[in-house]
Amino acid sequence: MIAANPHAPPVLELDGLSVALGGRQILDRLTASFSRRAIGLLGPNGAGKTTLLRTLLGFYPPTGGSARVLGRDLAGDGRGIRAEIGYMPESDAHIANTTAVHFVRLMGELSGLPSEAALERAHEALFYVGLGEARYRKVGTFSTGMKQMVKLAQALVHGPSLLMLDEPTNGLDPPARKRMIELVSDIRDRGTCSILLSSHLLGDVETVCDEVLILKNGAIAETCDLEADRRANRSFVELELEAPSDAFVAAVSALGCDVASLEPGRLKLVMPAARSTRDLWAEADRLGVGIRRLDLKRDSLQDIFLRAMEGNHGGV
Amino acid sequence: MAVYERIWRRYQGGLTPLGRRWTVITRYALAEAFSSRIFTAFYVLCLLPTMVGLFLVYLSHNTGLLEQIGMTREFVGGLTELFFQLLFSWQAIPAFFIAVIVAPSLISADLANNALPLYLARPITRRDYVVGKIAVLALLLSPTTWIGGLAVFVLQSSLEGGGWWREHWRIAAAYLIGHLTWIVVISLLTLAISAWVRFKPAARGALFGIVFILAGFAEAVNGVTSSSIGDLVHLVRAIINVVLWIFGLPLRNDLPIAASWLTLAAACALSLWLLHRKLRAHEVVS
Repeated sequence: MIAANPHAPPVLELDGLSVALGGRQILDRLTASFSRRAIGLLGPNGAGKTTLLRTLLGFYPPTGGSARVLGRDLAGDGRGIRAEIGYMPESDAHIANTTAVHFVRLMGELSGLPSEAALERAHEALFYVGLGEARYRKVGTFSTGMKQMVKLAQALVHGPSLLMLDEPTNGLDPPARKRMIELVSDIRDRGTCSILLSSHLLGDVETVCDEVLILKNGAIAETCDLEADRRANRSFVELELEAPSDAFVAAVSALGCDVASLEPGRLKLVMPAARSTRDLWAEADRLGVGIRRLDLKRDSLQDIFLRAMEGNHGGV
Repeated sequence: MAVYERIWRRYQGGLTPLGRRWTVITRYALAEAFSSRIFTAFYVLCLLPTMVGLFLVYLSHNTGLLEQIGMTREFVGGLTELFFQLLFSWQAIPAFFIAVIVAPSLISADLANNALPLYLARPITRRDYVVGKIAVLALLLSPTTWIGGLAVFVLQSSLEGGGWWREHWRIAAAYLIGHLTWIVVISLLTLAISAWVRFKPAARGALFGIVFILAGFAEAVNGVTSSSIGDLVHLVRAIINVVLWIFGLPLRNDLPIAASWLTLAAACALSLWLLHRKLRAHEVVS
């Protein structure tokens, strides 16, 4: 994976962003900043994820606060923001009576590609998402999975700096979902395009994203830097021995581990980067110590999400 | 087309100017319209009044040919202003049919397939979108109306000579202003209705309904009130009055010409408001 440029502006900055629609407050004073390559928007249905994406695209006017996308101000440079974005909407969307290649080419030209370049890249984008053989078929005849893929192709065709994906795995069967997640992960790993992924599926967000914004009732319930958490928790281990063993404690300390004893026979270790659980098993084997349980402790996104949902956040 | 790359990569080349992006919408919509052979054949038929007009002008100045077919120049009638008025009507009516056929495909199909978010998530605005769609109708209707009318006028002027065009400049003005006004009115009206009625046959029916039911309503009001007040909603009479006014002929009612302009302006304003209300990436339900 290519690291994000530290000198680049944050991908997304929200400063008290509020949105009201039809007399209802949908987003309430969102303030956060995200700089990593892949940002996840998590939340239950109706939390405001799609509204946030649409607001960033300029579809809904903010009623308060401001937002910046890739360093561009939403209020003053909406068109500039949209020039940098590839958007894959949640709902079924296509141009009537057109073939896939015609549709994707049109979208490329609308984003500013010259006609010939748009045609070439439309073919490439369709091959990339796995619709190469179906590119001359009318989009209206596509299955749900193919329609999702062609929506991804049209979002990619012009080479955006930020890809906004709204529930990209909606309606996909497991193999198609896997393929979609692989594609999005591949785009992220190429390092030239940031991703803003909205989903209510924890697994999708955890697989793809480095940072997560959890929304609840239109307010920020939690933000977390998954990448930093992964680094911090990579070597945090809980052990339960069959019997207390000072020799084992000394041995793992000699490996460079910080050891804390919770109670007799139960240890907490922080392992140095060069060590792995394999070394612990080897020491236990050498000393004849039985290990009843070994947990690599790490807050999963599910833990974080459930905590956020249980907490007294939001309340619009 | 051969595909050399099957990986995703960023685009490094130049971009087209932002101000010209709406032409992409126009170009694709025109291609879509002419992908139908039936429509293409109909469109050629709509050019027929202009062709006949050009032929009659040529014929009226070709004594030899007239003699061969046993006619005199008087038969053609010396191409009076009445000829040009009739030709105007025979151009304007097919133009309305072209708009009725094409317009519902322009916006209602995009709305039905939820395509608007795809357009508006790109660096184009709602105004670009409407301009792009109106340009389709303007490009389709212009050759069959004012361009054809002016071609007949230019041919007549060049064959007649002797400063004929100076004496009859009102004909050219009527073709230019009258047809352009008609194009703007029916384009906005047809687009507005197609934005609100997503089912194409229903949209076409609504377009006919609005024009002809309003005409009938206007006649009924005129009959009941023994005045011309009903003509304030009679679009066809309004455009006819505008053309007659430019020709320097008496109007079809006793209202001032400003009333006809007002009717047309109100139709345009209402259409723009309807488009403004409907053409959004996502509707917000209160």
